[in-house]
This record gives sequence, structure tokens and C-alpha cells, in this order.
Amino acid sequence: MKEKMTIVVGAGIAVLVIFTFAFYFIAKETIELFDIVSILIIVILVTTSIYFIWDRLKNLKAGLPAQDERLKLAGYKAGYYGFIAAIWSAIGSNLGYNILFDQELRGGLVVAAVVLVSGIVFMISFIYFSRKGN
Amino acid sequence: MKTRIKEYRARYDLTQEDLARKVGARRETILFIEKGKYNPSLSLAHSIAKALNATIDELFIFDD
Repeated sequence: MKEKMTIVVGAGIAVLVIFTFAFYFIAKETIELFDIVSILIIVILVTTSIYFIWDRLKNLKAGLPAQDERLKLAGYKAGYYGFIAAIWSAIGSNLGYNILFDQELRGGLVVAAVVLVSGIVFMISFIYFSRKGN
Repeated sequence: MKTRIKEYRARYDLTQEDLARKVGARRETILFIEKGKYNPSLSLAHSIAKALNATIDELFIFDD
């Protein structure tokens, strides 16, 4: 029951996020760099959610648990890599922008870069660990 | 680490999915354990051994 509830809530949040951003971009006249980064973040979050929901549903339909100890461990490992990526992207994004464009990166964009990079790293490592084993 | 889970499964005519259902794990987890790509927790190893009417020592072979 708890697993089904998690799936329903997850799917609901994913749909709400898509609708919120759709309305936001319809109302907006010009699209800036920050908006493109936001779109990427949303695409990553929604894609990851859809993958997780599909994977859990597939197992529940087969009468198997949606999550077990191996998958939890994969989540912890991926979370660790995502955390490390967040730290390095916070330093690297500003430094890289400074070297390439000789300018400081806006605070909002640094946050966006951190979310984007850590999200991508988390997603890739979770899929890798859950498909590979240890 | 090598395992004899596949052999014991065959003895009781169980598929990976059947065993996964019995021990409350995902099918992929059983597959990875059989291939030696995942070391299960003591609790899961005990559940698998119980489901296959064997002991942990009989199922899991450790290379010293």
C-alpha cells in the first residue's frame, strides 16, 4: 500500500511540475539562458521520475517488491556520487565560467548548475548501479 | 564469491522470479547474487537459504 501511494504521489508531482513549467513558459515572452537551464533540470527530474515509477510498477505488477536492499544500496551510492558532484560543480561552474568568459557567474545560475550536475550524476549512477550489481 | 543458488533452484523447480517472491527481493537481485555480482546481506542470505531448505554455508562458497 505504501509503495503504491509513493508511486501515485510521485506521478502526481511529475505531472504538476510539467504543467507548472508549461504555464510559466507560455506566459514568458523571451527565453534566457537561465530558462534553458531550468528546462534541462525539469527534463532530468521528470525523466528520472518516469523511469523510477515505470520500474516500480513493473515489479509490483509481477508481485515483487518495488524496492529491495540492493536498490536501496544503489540509491545510497548514487546519492553519495551526486553529493560529490554537487560540491565540485559549485566550485567548477564558477571557475570555468570565469576562465572562459572572464565574468562571475550569477548566484542563481551556480545553484542551477549544482542541481543540474548533481541530478545528472545521481540519475546516471543510480541506473548504472541498479543495472550492474555491486 | 560463488553460489549454488541456481543448482538448488533447479532442484525445487523454482524460477528466479519465484525465489525473489519468496524472499521479498527483486528478480534482478537474485540474478546478480547468482552471478556473484552482488553480495547479499546476512538477512537476505538467510531468507534465501531458508527458502531453498539449505544452510548459508551450502549456498555460498567463499574463496579463501
